[in-house]
Amino acid sequence: MVLQGLITGIIIGGILSLPVMGVALIYGVTGILNYAIATIGTFGAFTTWLLLPYGLWPAILAGLLTSFVIGFGIQQFLLNPLIKKKGNDLTLFFIITFGIATIVAGLTKNFFPRPTISIELPKLGTLFIADVAVDINKVIAIAIAFSILLIMRFLEKTTKTGKSWIATSQNLKMAKLVGINVEFVYSLVSGIGHILGFIGAFFWGVLYNLTVNTGWDLCFLGYIIAIVGGIGNVWGGMISALIMGVVISFAGYWLGGMWQSVALYVILFAILIVAPKGILGSERSV
Amino acid sequence: MPPLLLEAENLTVTYGSYAALKKVNFSVFEGEIVAIVGPNGAGKTTFLETVAGLLKPKEGSLKFRDRNITKLGPFQRRKMGLMLIPQEGNLFPSMPVKENLQLGAFFQNKRSTEEILNRVYRIFPKLQDRTRQLAGTLSGGEQRMLAIGMGIAANVKALMIDELSLGLAPKVVGSLLSILRDLRDETGITIVLSEQSIKALDIADRVYGLEAGEIRFTERAQQLDRDLIKSLYLGA
Repeated sequence: MVLQGLITGIIIGGILSLPVMGVALIYGVTGILNYAIATIGTFGAFTTWLLLPYGLWPAILAGLLTSFVIGFGIQQFLLNPLIKKKGNDLTLFFIITFGIATIVAGLTKNFFPRPTISIELPKLGTLFIADVAVDINKVIAIAIAFSILLIMRFLEKTTKTGKSWIATSQNLKMAKLVGINVEFVYSLVSGIGHILGFIGAFFWGVLYNLTVNTGWDLCFLGYIIAIVGGIGNVWGGMISALIMGVVISFAGYWLGGMWQSVALYVILFAILIVAPKGILGSERSV
Repeated sequence: MPPLLLEAENLTVTYGSYAALKKVNFSVFEGEIVAIVGPNGAGKTTFLETVAGLLKPKEGSLKFRDRNITKLGPFQRRKMGLMLIPQEGNLFPSMPVKENLQLGAFFQNKRSTEEILNRVYRIFPKLQDRTRQLAGTLSGGEQRMLAIGMGIAANVKALMIDELSLGLAPKVVGSLLSILRDLRDETGITIVLSEQSIKALDIADRVYGLEAGEIRFTERAQQLDRDLIKSLYLGA
């Protein structure tokens, strides 16, 4: 049962790590705590579900593009002009993205024919880890979560765009001066962050049920996890997500579902006291 | 007379109700080395950051290569060949030396970046020994070398350097200044320096005196009474 709990926890953590990495990436580069990522990702996952009759891959692509376009557009046409006018005010942007999340959640409710969906993927079989049976789709979900982290690191090391976002996160002023179009970088990173939110919501819909409120839950858990990992720190977010996934899983087994969030908060407070900047520290310094 | 490269007309910049620059008129010709001298708080940094596009002027206009750039963003100005090395925070501290230089050469393609980096290494051999070291772990003098190296790697028409000598030993300042003069003589690059140190006058063709946000004088460097400048503007 311990192994079962551990595996369930790692799967939950792996999926949660996706919106968390999105939060971390966007915050690291733009300094904005974006609360809308998972809600918009959920909208994207509903889009995928709606289009499933037209084929799995086109549907996934459509959900992914929807999330990217919304994320890119919000940054480009709303947040960037506001940054120009008001400067980078953490609370203001948190409230604004919260508002966006509310609007998008409302749209999700009204736009799609059902409030609760489950995304059916073709069954690929079962994998046995010791005696525990694990659906291969779950293994794929975890593999994708990990590979996204590696893909991001690869982009940062090898492409000009990747270097631009690292440079922007390290030194905004100098990034502008060397010729980086930081507003475009912000929008691009926002789009990518929302794609991560989408993938998270998508797998949530594959493994569990996706409701119009899942976005809120993912955001909420995502923030607790991001703070524990060191907000803005992508690796920290990943590790923290795995730990918290295991905590959720075991709290559910041993204490019951109602204690899961209590356990999360206890850990959050404990970490904040021991390591105020999270387990790996916050990366954003500008 | 070489053509005019950079021109500021009636430039006024305010922070709230405080005017940091008041109707500043300023011009630089191609291939010139111009020094802006003035005491702390005179508005030198404000001026350079406005020219680079980091600050928006309240009034006035900026022209670069015969084009009005007043409304352009920093990256567009950089693309046109104008670059500022700020006095501090001019590096990407958690990136290695080489990546800093590559970012300096942002608009160059891969091949010419290699060539340009080699040129920087010839000028600053110390940087070549440390290509993989993180910029934030270099010494103060080396960091300034790297920042100037990024400016050279940018391969721009006009390079502006804010407070080149700040916190550096006089000997280091002297060698950096002669490197800049050689660079101008070789490539024809235009250089604008803001300085609190009188040493900058050694390489400057022309000098602007800035005080309390206003241009007090402009003069050819040889004709200046250095002692007077020193006592009036540089607080020495």
